[in-house]
Amino acid sequence: MKSRRLLATTMTGSAAAALTLVLLRRRPGRLRLDRGRAALRLVMRGGVRYAAGAPRLFAAAGAQRQLLREDLALRTAEDVVGTLGAMKGVMMKIGQMASYVDDGLSPAVRRTLARLQDSVPPMSPSLAAAVVKEELGAPPERVFARWDPRPIAAASIGQVHRAVTLDGRAVAVKVQYPGSAETIAADLRNVALLRRMLRIAAPAQDVDALLSELRDRVGEELDYRREAASQRLMAAYYDGHPTIHIPAVIDGLSTRRVITSELSGGARFAELAGWPQHERDLAAETIYRFVFRSLYHVHAFNGDPHPGNYLFHRGGRVTFLDFGLVKHFTPAELQPLMQMARTICVEHDPEAFRRSLENAGFLRPGAPLSTQAIVDHLAVFYDTIREPGPVTITSDYASSVVRRFFDLRSPVAGYIALPRSYVILQRINLGLFAVLGELSATADWRAIAEEIWPFTHGPAATPMGEAEAAWRARRQAMAA
Amino acid sequence: MTADLDTTATGLIERSAAAYVSGVPEDASDDGLFGPASVAWRVSTDLASPVAGLRSLLMQALHPLAMAGVDQHSGWRRDPVGRLATTSAYLATVTFGERAVALHAAARVRRIHDHVRGVDAVTGRPYAAGDPALLLWVHAALVQSSLAAVWAFGTPLSAEDSDRYVEEMIVAAELIGVPRPQVPASVADLERYVASVRPGLSYTPAAGESMAYLLNPPGLDEEIAGFWQDVRDAAIAVLPEWARQMYGYSAPPLSPGRRAEIRQSLGVLDAMFLGQPGVLEARQRITLRMRTGRPA
Repeated sequence: MKSRRLLATTMTGSAAAALTLVLLRRRPGRLRLDRGRAALRLVMRGGVRYAAGAPRLFAAAGAQRQLLREDLALRTAEDVVGTLGAMKGVMMKIGQMASYVDDGLSPAVRRTLARLQDSVPPMSPSLAAAVVKEELGAPPERVFARWDPRPIAAASIGQVHRAVTLDGRAVAVKVQYPGSAETIAADLRNVALLRRMLRIAAPAQDVDALLSELRDRVGEELDYRREAASQRLMAAYYDGHPTIHIPAVIDGLSTRRVITSELSGGARFAELAGWPQHERDLAAETIYRFVFRSLYHVHAFNGDPHPGNYLFHRGGRVTFLDFGLVKHFTPAELQPLMQMARTICVEHDPEAFRRSLENAGFLRPGAPLSTQAIVDHLAVFYDTIREPGPVTITSDYASSVVRRFFDLRSPVAGYIALPRSYVILQRINLGLFAVLGELSATADWRAIAEEIWPFTHGPAATPMGEAEAAWRARRQAMAA
Repeated sequence: MTADLDTTATGLIERSAAAYVSGVPEDASDDGLFGPASVAWRVSTDLASPVAGLRSLLMQALHPLAMAGVDQHSGWRRDPVGRLATTSAYLATVTFGERAVALHAAARVRRIHDHVRGVDAVTGRPYAAGDPALLLWVHAALVQSSLAAVWAFGTPLSAEDSDRYVEEMIVAAELIGVPRPQVPASVADLERYVASVRPGLSYTPAAGESMAYLLNPPGLDEEIAGFWQDVRDAAIAVLPEWARQMYGYSAPPLSPGRRAEIRQSLGVLDAMFLGQPGVLEARQRITLRMRTGRPA
């Protein structure tokens, strides 16, 4: 009875053309559907009055706590447990992931998740200092030459302070709320409750695939040493890159609950909106290259590609922050994604495309569907890269991708599944393309994709591509 | 059996949130009847409040005359959610509202009670909602349930604070018309009082019907029903054994794991509540006042 349905499909492929599908648990008949709606309505009705009409693709996700209410600051570990315990920290993390997961999230669910983020005040200066002392062995004023006791930003289970190291480097120090990792880890063990919550928040999703992936990723994020490792990997790979900048991790000052990295300036996403289109296109190109180069050459994908994690500089240079939600892929996991892109975009071979979908587990073998129907259904995800030439990614396009994700009416939908390893890639659709759409970015995405695809080795398609090729040549020369 | 069930679960959170928000003043001109340093404020902001509320209702319903009054007059069948929301609005106002607002709300309740009179079909005894004996039972059930729920699922109070809470709450009983000398002023008093009332309690058909509805609202979506089941299990688990027996429930003692699960469910419910308009701001107003009202 639980045959799976497509709710969603995929990553607009591109350089990588990974096909991501969100599966839907099929609701047998109307009854189930109505019940799902009733469940949603519980949290939704207030929201309908509140939310401003059109779906905003990254509403809750980037919801930083603008207002760091110092008068409400958490002063003790008990305050932290009161605020993040009893599932609330877990819900915040789910919110962070789920905000991309589906357009099917009602505005009210998004709002609830955003409110939850708003409900977490910063740590008091003494509580933050106590964590630093526990982790780094001495109070922050002794560990650092300068320490700003007022946080400059909120992180989901921590906050960021500005500091200067003893050897004079300006750094950002992310400090985790004490006790939050333990309470969240304990709450993550209540699988039955998590499933229930996800069914309410995202009734359209295949809850089980989502849940297991979510538990793993959130569990990893609790230990900042993993984040530091991912950030180091990225920083090492992109060292010297002309436009992609990853802040360096300061090794001696990074532990399980503290991560210290080079402080970066730059414009926020909101400011970028006011820059000339040329600058916006360059920024978009950098983000695009970063996402797909990381996927295909570092075998890693930052599962939190939201605009709050980017800092923009003129000329297309972008600083990428926050590597807490990085998913690492094996070559075997990436292989099917490449096959799909190659068969549909390069070889234009629908039957081979279909076989590659089946091999990857995206499509049930022997589904009674014409290959044309399958291609028609999934092609939208490859629209920007099927043919060479400049393409503008609009908000409408991003929305249509999202809608296709949740299109249950298609006869194809019932035969599509989303293997667990690819769950997180759907954030390419809902995160990356939402950002590019917001920028109305134009580029020859196909040509850029050919530069990055491991199976094409295309020539440099843009000036940025030429600079990148030179960087790659330098890397190889140094490695040799 | 009653109102459109489809709207019930939705309505309960929405309407009790609205009631809560309206009960917490924005620029309070005074600290109200309890004040930010009170134990009552702490208890009212505890995660375990839904359990306290449900346990109160279960206890209150065992008084045949109190139950008859509710059954014959309150219209709970027509609008169960409205009935609960009205009560939670009243409690929020009395707890957090300015003195004059709280007194005004209480006066209104007393006026309504003046018209609630009748004869209990089961015992044949006349009742009046303004009868201090009934009101005292309702009061005591609430106070005892809050202590029990907070003890089991929230942030437990010390023995001293528990006594203080019972004492602080006297004013709430007075407000609705119970003479002060009759109201228990300590935990021990409260227990003695409950024991003294116990012989007159019984499980009437009205209690059975209304509580069965409350514990098992028909038509709840399965996911929501899961949350409700946790609250229900929690409320039943903290009932006195004799009360459980009157209802015919059995409740094995809660394991630490089950207790943790219930707390987690209460956290999710609380988050849904927090998602309602104005609730976060109301909470922050309370927290800020509690911080300044009590040495840090």
